[in-house]
Amino acid sequence: MEYAIEFEHVSKIYTLKSKDKKYTNDKRFYALKDINFKIQKGEVVGILGTNGSGKSTMSLVLSEIADVDEGEMKVNGSSALIAINTGLNQQLTGLENIELKGALLGLKRDEIDKIIDGVMDFAEIGDFLYQSVKKYSSGMKSRLGFSINLYLNPDILIVDEALSVGDKGFAQKCINKMMELKEEGKTIIFISHTLKQVREFCDTAMWIEGGQLKEYGEVEEVCDHYSEYVSYLNHLGKERKKLELDKKFEKRLLPSVSKESFMDKFLRMIKSN
Amino acid sequence: MFKSMKYVWSENINNLYRIKSISKYELLADMRDSKLGIFWNFANPFIQVLTYYFVFGLVFNKKAVDGIAYMPWMLGGMVIWFFISPCITNGCNAVFTKLNVITKMKFPVSILPSTVSMKELFNHGCLMIILVFVFMFYGWYPSVHWLGLIYYCFCAVIFSICLSLTTSVLNMIARDTRKLILAIMRLLLYLTPILWSIDNVKRWPLIHKIMSANPIYYLVQGYRDCFFFHRGFLYYWKSGVCFWVITFILFAFGSYMMYKLKKKFVDMI
Repeated sequence: MEYAIEFEHVSKIYTLKSKDKKYTNDKRFYALKDINFKIQKGEVVGILGTNGSGKSTMSLVLSEIADVDEGEMKVNGSSALIAINTGLNQQLTGLENIELKGALLGLKRDEIDKIIDGVMDFAEIGDFLYQSVKKYSSGMKSRLGFSINLYLNPDILIVDEALSVGDKGFAQKCINKMMELKEEGKTIIFISHTLKQVREFCDTAMWIEGGQLKEYGEVEEVCDHYSEYVSYLNHLGKERKKLELDKKFEKRLLPSVSKESFMDKFLRMIKSN
Repeated sequence: MFKSMKYVWSENINNLYRIKSISKYELLADMRDSKLGIFWNFANPFIQVLTYYFVFGLVFNKKAVDGIAYMPWMLGGMVIWFFISPCITNGCNAVFTKLNVITKMKFPVSILPSTVSMKELFNHGCLMIILVFVFMFYGWYPSVHWLGLIYYCFCAVIFSICLSLTTSVLNMIARDTRKLILAIMRLLLYLTPILWSIDNVKRWPLIHKIMSANPIYYLVQGYRDCFFFHRGFLYYWKSGVCFWVITFILFAFGSYMMYKLKKKFVDMI
């Protein structure tokens, strides 16, 4: 079996500034901790997790924007993170923005010409295409941004909370389009809080909690366990919930290191490559 | 070291269309931002030149330099300063202003300094058009020697890109870099023989040597040579060698940093 993505003991570490700047050491914090999994080619994976559990870090690492600090990650094929509002320039018209964003994403002139009709069609913004983007409603902006992204042609698609914008109709349209991509055999990583969408769309699901991989398997099963956990958290009293979260936070901390000076940090970054 | 230079080089060459589009649409967005648009691209340097004309031409009543009236002589050098100065100050910010892009998509970061220089190149073109008319007014007509400007302009672009490679990365590590650069640039305008002739410091050989080694002065004197003196490139070979050595060192250092830190920018915010 061919794998699209392989994670072997992957960790991502952030440095936290301490409250008292002079005396205490900086804390180091696992955003992702020792994660292992393999995703097969053509699989559609939903990623679940509460806020701050490391989902967005995961998407950054998966799309090769950020580097991992420990472990090894293998990605077979090109991957792209679907970023909705980035690269849209307020002053330019919709059409110019399609060209600009296309170029930002690395498309050539003829490739942009090829996708332009499809994007215009998909975004459904009509004559607003010739207006500057500052006049767009927020829904229109995200529709435009999302459409451009969908027409890129990566092997691995990473969708981070992208469908939470736009109305239901558009969300459904996006799901349908992604279904098409799924049929074509693309690997899709779908990060969402909407359990319904995940159940509907994904084959498997991954639950990340406190930076660690808690469960990875059949979508229904993982979704059930996740929703149980969420309602359990909600039923806890304020105090107990706080205690629970603190405990989780403690687990992610690394043994503190001495405070890094500017030069040390810089040298570490150069060396770690 | 060579690996990183090769990396930055090929990334820039492979992404020429990306560079072009980014600078084009950024210019366009800038123009749309104001009601008068492209007018400001002309007006800003024009007003600045007028100020210098008032101070140095009228108040101090500067004498002709090397047989050339002060105004055209100064403008001939000033025009490249108007290009290189925003290139350096904005180039420093090249990566920082594009944070929203580089943290959200896979993006070849090392092309960002080039986009800044390309954008300024357009403004430079606008200014050159004005300059041609001003020079004709003073009696200097375009000649075949002006073709040398292409070489010096190319030098300026390469130099500013190489410098920005370094400063834009340093600026990501510490935002103080930009403040430092702004202060230095303000100083450099007066320390580079643009408003005054380098002959004024001939009395101090050491300072004269340092001034001649200044890469920006190489461009300034090159522009003046093409306009007025027609001595050719080889006449300034010492400054030329100095210029290219400095540029190469900047390129080597800048691409090394770029290469090493290319995936770390996300964590540096």
